[in-house]
Amino acid sequence: MPIRDYYLLSPEISLASIAMAVILLDTVVKRKGLLAIFTLAALALPLAFTISLWGEEGRAFGGLLIVDQFSIFFKFLFLGVTAAVVIASQDSVTNFKRFQGEFYALLLLATSGLMLMSSTGELITIFLALELSTLSAIALVTFFKTDQAVEAGIKYLVLSGISSAMMLYGMALVFGVSGSTRLEEIAQAVGTTRLLDNPALLMGMLLMVAGFGFKISSVPFQMWVPDVYQGAPTSVAAYLSVASKAGGFAVILRVFYVAFAGVSMEWSMLFAVLAVVSMTFGNLIAMFQSNIKRLLAYSTIAHAGYMMVGLAAVAARNPIGEGLGTQGLLFYLTGYAFTNLGAFFVVIAVAQKLKGESIDDFAGLAKRSPLLAGLLALCLISLTGLPPTVGFWAKLYLFSGAVQADLVWLAVAGVLNSAISAYYYLRVVKAMYMSPAASDERLTPSPAISLALLVTTGGVLFFGFAPSYLLDFAVRAARGFPG
Amino acid sequence: MHQFGFIAIFMVLAVLVPVSMLLIPYALTLAGIKPHRPDKVKNDTYECGVRTVGGSWVRFNFRYYYFALSFLIFDVEAVFLFPWAVHARQLHWFGFGAVLVFVAIITVGLAYEWRKKALEWK
Repeated sequence: MPIRDYYLLSPEISLASIAMAVILLDTVVKRKGLLAIFTLAALALPLAFTISLWGEEGRAFGGLLIVDQFSIFFKFLFLGVTAAVVIASQDSVTNFKRFQGEFYALLLLATSGLMLMSSTGELITIFLALELSTLSAIALVTFFKTDQAVEAGIKYLVLSGISSAMMLYGMALVFGVSGSTRLEEIAQAVGTTRLLDNPALLMGMLLMVAGFGFKISSVPFQMWVPDVYQGAPTSVAAYLSVASKAGGFAVILRVFYVAFAGVSMEWSMLFAVLAVVSMTFGNLIAMFQSNIKRLLAYSTIAHAGYMMVGLAAVAARNPIGEGLGTQGLLFYLTGYAFTNLGAFFVVIAVAQKLKGESIDDFAGLAKRSPLLAGLLALCLISLTGLPPTVGFWAKLYLFSGAVQADLVWLAVAGVLNSAISAYYYLRVVKAMYMSPAASDERLTPSPAISLALLVTTGGVLFFGFAPSYLLDFAVRAARGFPG
Repeated sequence: MHQFGFIAIFMVLAVLVPVSMLLIPYALTLAGIKPHRPDKVKNDTYECGVRTVGGSWVRFNFRYYYFALSFLIFDVEAVFLFPWAVHARQLHWFGFGAVLVFVAIITVGLAYEWRKKALEWK
């Protein structure tokens, strides 16, 4: 085994080592506040390895690990999200007192699983990485050990077990048809056969969509989302809605664009239908929510739908022949990460002071804390997809990709859905600015959450005015990626 | 098809043996060889021959679960170490290093258990 293989795996290795270091540190230090600082500082190590890998192309361990611009893009995304979540959860974890080391260690392990997911080209490794991230996430969901949290955790555990079983069954069928678990060799075996003539392959593909659909919380695998988001610590819900979803999309892109590239016409239509159903379902149910975390949960289901527009637009090409769907999806995932983390962090900041998470608690927030209200309004506008935010550009790129792929009806459905979503996003904004406040007491967010908010909402605004930086990054990541 | 023939024979045997076992007592009763005199002890549920003490729906101390988990982890560790030990010479220092990393990861877990007092029975 050459040293280079380990160098290519170094971000994941260092991240898992840090997780173990946090566990060991937790057993010796008395001042638990150090753990968050250590975790945050130590994240610089995998970040440094990822930066040094930037520009590298390579395979390691006989093709089990693929390092390319695409996987490095996702590694940056996961590391950034993890850092923001560590900062934002610092207050609530410190107040809870128990299991502080475990929280950060599990978060890091979940992230290392996600990073591995984005850079494997082999089905069994994909499964292992997916389970590593999901199992850690389940423990994080139950963290506060309230009845609601335990219920959420059990729901997540059982449903993720079912979806993993379906995915494994699908992988077994695909292996049976192609005789290999390597994505490239599957691609050769699949070739350009007609899917309908090959029921085993069709079944295997559908079952794998079920497994990945759970991860990205698309309809019809979305049942767990609202309950888990409501029961989980808010920072963990933010992590799930952003990092876990991005990991799912990374795997879907890799599996479908590489292994099933020959039958892309068939699965493109599958994702187009799932996209419309998902965004419509999420938006319609979100209108009737009174709890802000449940509202954001249904909104993530809708956003999974928007993102699947990028998957369906596999046929979209720019003049140089690069895939517009992939670029748009990568841009959307990053923009969504900034926006949704920002929205969840405002919820954390408000819930810390008011001990409430219903939309009524946000009434009159503009008077009690103009800054928090302004930032939440900004994030909600970005989620709706209006300028001058990153969400506007994200939707623009995605839907223009759909139009280029001759899926005009899909783009129209997306725009109509954005209009529906404006209703419930702006309802929160209206409550903050137009409704009377329950009291005039000022709300000041804690320093940690302020820092997390500064980073995320700063990103929403910066990339809203200068999307080209992020777009260039996404274009480079998508270049060389098949499809 | 040859192999499936063996499976078919086994399936027939698997059905025949238990069914005949169940039918023998009836046949003996019908033939008048076995007398039919039931009583309380004979009709009791047979567990292991020793008279049962207390109900079986008792609560277990949850610490059993810690020890069961720890036992499982180290059991699996041993299972992984045996094949390495058999081929330690052929695997050279790379194999040794890999096993060392594996044991180190398990040791982190053990240190965690020890410091969090999961190994104490109280």
